[in-house]
Amino acid sequence: MAKDVKPTRKNLMAIEDRIELSERGHDTLEKKRDGLIMEFMDILDQAQDVRSDLNENYDEAQRKINMARAMEGDVAVRGAAAALQEHPELTTESKNIMGVVVPQIESSKVRKSLDERGYGVLGTSARIDEAAEAYEELLETIILAAEVETAMKKMLDEIETTKRRVNALEFKLLPELKSNQEYIEQKLEEQEREEIFRMKKIKAKKEEEEKAEREAAEQEAEEAETVTADD
Amino acid sequence: MSTERTAGGSNYEYVIARVRSRRAALFDDDDYRKLIRMGPGEIARFMEESEYESEMNALGARHSGVDLIEYALNRNVAKHFDDLLQWADGQLYGYVARYLRKFDVWNVKTIIRGLYAGTDASDVETDLIRAGEFDDAFLDQLLNAGSIEELVELLEPTRFGDPLAEAYAVYEDEGVLVPLENALDRAFYEDLLTGLSGEQSRAMELYVEFLSAEVDFRNLRNAFRLARSGADLDPSEYYIEGGKLFTEDEIRQLARNRDQLVEFVRSSKYGEDLEAGLDSLEAADSLIEFERALDAALLEYSGRLSNRYPLSICPVLAYVLAKEREVDNIRAIARGREGGLSTDEIENELVIL
Repeated sequence: MAKDVKPTRKNLMAIEDRIELSERGHDTLEKKRDGLIMEFMDILDQAQDVRSDLNENYDEAQRKINMARAMEGDVAVRGAAAALQEHPELTTESKNIMGVVVPQIESSKVRKSLDERGYGVLGTSARIDEAAEAYEELLETIILAAEVETAMKKMLDEIETTKRRVNALEFKLLPELKSNQEYIEQKLEEQEREEIFRMKKIKAKKEEEEKAEREAAEQEAEEAETVTADD
Repeated sequence: MSTERTAGGSNYEYVIARVRSRRAALFDDDDYRKLIRMGPGEIARFMEESEYESEMNALGARHSGVDLIEYALNRNVAKHFDDLLQWADGQLYGYVARYLRKFDVWNVKTIIRGLYAGTDASDVETDLIRAGEFDDAFLDQLLNAGSIEELVELLEPTRFGDPLAEAYAVYEDEGVLVPLENALDRAFYEDLLTGLSGEQSRAMELYVEFLSAEVDFRNLRNAFRLARSGADLDPSEYYIEGGKLFTEDEIRQLARNRDQLVEFVRSSKYGEDLEAGLDSLEAADSLIEFERALDAALLEYSGRLSNRYPLSICPVLAYVLAKEREVDNIRAIARGREGGLSTDEIENELVIL
């Protein structure tokens, strides 16, 4: 608060330095925010596509498994699923988008060929193959969606943080600093005016004293002259 | 354990008389028309008032919804097919049993998958369809096996023993069930036509024709699946002996190129029956329509078996297929309804004799 600041020239210089730094930081953060928003818009488009693929693939996988359960029976479908123990493997790495660390998910063993799905080929049907295939595709889309949506969430968090920082600088810190600067400047000006006034007063007093001294001296001289003349 | 009763004379008259009465009790078109417009609850109630009453009542406390319907269908089909094996004697028993052994394969595969996935024996037990040649005591013994190795040892005296033992070595190396499951299915299909060439009659010719069509269609189905998968697999490894459509070399060549395979089937004796299925396969790159066409064609061949040769295996096999089809259709309607499939979609999936 302005009242808490000591109105000294040193503080004024420090505040001016802080204002300059804050303004530079504000510009940089604004640029970062705009850049993040642009990156976010790209990721948003990608996320919307992935989300729509996800819904589509989910519906298709459900339809295919319902069809397989209807025609082959639930027991046969469950049995075929039980014949596989190997799980897909996921590895996560990270990449940097404008200072935001987002995950990059690599998957393996999601898509399987006919002989890798665990169940025998000779006694099963294409309905089970197509249901398995649809679920493999769905799983791949889920992994992609996880990657894109996590990146999107992290970008959003970063945009929010940057926006808060920009707003804090723009609407809180900079106005406060400027108000402090103004307060100190006013106080310093006031002090200067007081100083000048005091100096003027001192000068006037000094002149008055000199004048009185001078008058007294003149009077003394006059009196001395009168005494001499009388003698 | 397998109890072959092929010695002695066949009792066709007795078995066929009983099969006729069972066949008359199967659901007809009107029943399907009603079922297709019902929800799963209504289907369950309809079944409670039909042939499936005792199974629905017996399983009602353990299962509910469409699961109850499916388990009741499985138990009912097991009861009916077990009856057939109980009634049949002599060569007729052998003819029926060789087709019903597919349920033995189903049960062994179910137990193997249960052991592989660490499922409770009680849960695996509910998924068995006790319609094959293995009796209850032997199936219970298999269910209590502690490991796949123990199961393979228990099956050693059966017809699946040798192929399974051979496949078990591959399973131990690779750790996947594919070799075991393929060995079981291959043993079943290759056994279907073994030793049938001796008897010469029109009925037997039709029976053999039907069984070879079944093997051909299985080869065809698998060849298309391999061609579609694009995986680098040797098609001859998935070839089943006994069919008339392909040789092993032909399938090795054709399964690498779907278009050539389609042309080959079009110009074969099955070309006309499978034309619609092949067209949709070319248009949609989905095998489902084509598999439906194969099922329909197989049923058409089975239709030729019924009633023409009354004192032969034909009416019995026709009944087996009709019963299986009924169970498949009811399950498809109930599961289709549960999964939110439209009436048209379900109707499209049904294959009605």
